[in-house]
Amino acid sequence: MTAVAETAVGPERTAAPLGRLLAAEVRWVFRRPRTLITLGLFALIPVLVAVGVVVADRNGPGLIGAVAGNGLVLPIAALTLALALLLPLATAMAAADALAGEAAHGTLRGLLLAPVSRVRLVGVKAFGVLVVAAAAVLVIAVVGVLAGMVVVGSADGQMVTLSGTTLGFGEGVARVGLVAVWVLGQLAAVGAVALAVSSLTEHPLVVLASVLGGLIAFGVLSAIPALDWLQPWLLTSGWTAATDALRDPVALDAMGSSTVRALCYAAIGLGITVWRMQRRDA
Amino acid sequence: MRTKLWARIGSGVAVAGVVGLGLVAIPAGAGAQPELPPVSAEELVASVGQTSPGPFGGTVEVDNALGLPAIPGAPAQLANGTSDVRIWSDGTGRGRVSLPSAQGERTLVSDGTTAWAYDSEDRTAVRKPVTAHEVQPADPTRSATDAIAQLRQTSTVSVDGTAEVAGRPAYELVLTPNPTERTLLREVRIAVDAEKRVPLRLTVLANGSPDPAFEVGFTDLTFGPQDPALFTFTPPPGTTVTDAPEGTGEKPQRPEGVQPTVVGDGWDTVVVARAPQGDRSQQRPEGAPDLSQLGTPVSGPWGSGRLISTAVASAIVTDDGRIAAGAVPEQVLTEALAR
Repeated sequence: MTAVAETAVGPERTAAPLGRLLAAEVRWVFRRPRTLITLGLFALIPVLVAVGVVVADRNGPGLIGAVAGNGLVLPIAALTLALALLLPLATAMAAADALAGEAAHGTLRGLLLAPVSRVRLVGVKAFGVLVVAAAAVLVIAVVGVLAGMVVVGSADGQMVTLSGTTLGFGEGVARVGLVAVWVLGQLAAVGAVALAVSSLTEHPLVVLASVLGGLIAFGVLSAIPALDWLQPWLLTSGWTAATDALRDPVALDAMGSSTVRALCYAAIGLGITVWRMQRRDA
Repeated sequence: MRTKLWARIGSGVAVAGVVGLGLVAIPAGAGAQPELPPVSAEELVASVGQTSPGPFGGTVEVDNALGLPAIPGAPAQLANGTSDVRIWSDGTGRGRVSLPSAQGERTLVSDGTTAWAYDSEDRTAVRKPVTAHEVQPADPTRSATDAIAQLRQTSTVSVDGTAEVAGRPAYELVLTPNPTERTLLREVRIAVDAEKRVPLRLTVLANGSPDPAFEVGFTDLTFGPQDPALFTFTPPPGTTVTDAPEGTGEKPQRPEGVQPTVVGDGWDTVVVARAPQGDRSQQRPEGAPDLSQLGTPVSGPWGSGRLISTAVASAIVTDDGRIAAGAVPEQVLTEALAR
């Protein structure tokens, strides 16, 4: 984003081209060592799960148990595991840096004074957060498929579904892709809410604390039977839906409804961010 | 001015998000009752008896509020709560039923000659030859048709308006027990598809509660040819395949073959059976629920035992090994036992 101020010097230019803004933001995001280290650590998740499944001598229940001898399930299991806390954490980290971090460093001031509309600034920042989330999901999915095929292995590269049918390699990878896209949708919601918090504070730590605290609070609320009615309001209540991608024929109901819920959260988050940034003093 | 406009748009989007979340979260109420040509109860019952739905596929939701006590070793579907069942049929006896759970899935496939039961959690498949007229579990079509046939003689049958089930217009057929029937049940409602005359939903209402004690119905249903691949099963690699024990038609695990006796008819039918002998001394078979610790102790001229009551049924397990059960209050059970 530092490049923006330089590009907009011409008197006839009132805004920098959007493509260049986005590219600059992505470069800026990936130049942070913590982003790269996070992505590297995410690559370890599927590998660790794979080694754990191979070393364990008996199948446990659930998704991890389904990984044994069935390598293409590994990326889906790893994504589900990471979605619980780690992926939201990485997304919140990017969102915390995007606005609160810049404010803490005093660099947000320059961005607010630059001849870039505030809405465009929010759009660019949101894009940066989404790119980090997408990169993290992609790393887990790709390393998961590789580790699944190499470490866990599967008969003829097939995926055995929970319904007892076998899918070819292509269809199995398509299921992994479906889960990856769905996970990214959930992370977009987390990112948007985190960005809203980020726009309201100057301390990046507050963003991390509120996102993680929120996730834990949601977990506690969904564990209380008397608060059953609250479940459909909670973003996290649909986060086990990835299991449905392993059924044949695939069941899209739970993934669909949780995606709609995620879109609502994303609208709330982005709406608050735009509102706040419009009113924020430079 | 643009700043103000965008701030307004931002807050508008946020509010729209909250409203959207509410729309997703709050379940849609009962839709408007569809307008259907009137039909008499007799006509409706007759058409249900004759219908054959043909190939269909859909999702059935089982809403269980029976209040069954937690039985160790019993499947989770028996406990209170809702569970989904996905079901496909080609209309000629081949079918697939899957019972998804958070941990995995149980799949039952019948390809016309062989029935398979696959459990994804321990990756086992049980194979057995198909005998005629196997009853598929939780198929509202069959369970409702059976219920109508059994209860017609002792009930008032009426058509009570219309309903929309799984997006299809349906008549609400209501079976109310005759006043002489001593039962815990208030009424049984069956939603019958207006076009295909297939039962779409079965609701059991008990005395003293406005909410259904048990409901099984389609939430999603399509009639029409189904993918033939659904009705075949090939054990996936890594599966342990076992054959079901022979002679399944005769209930092999029941020693001395004591036939259950039926006392009464209609709504207050009581089934009196003898529990397997030697149950207490031997280790009970795996998967069989342990009934000895359930319920409350009761006694009377008929002996003593334990009473297990739920919203729609009660059962007494006597100390001398008899079991009496029915959709009746305790007194009817003890009368049946005293015979």
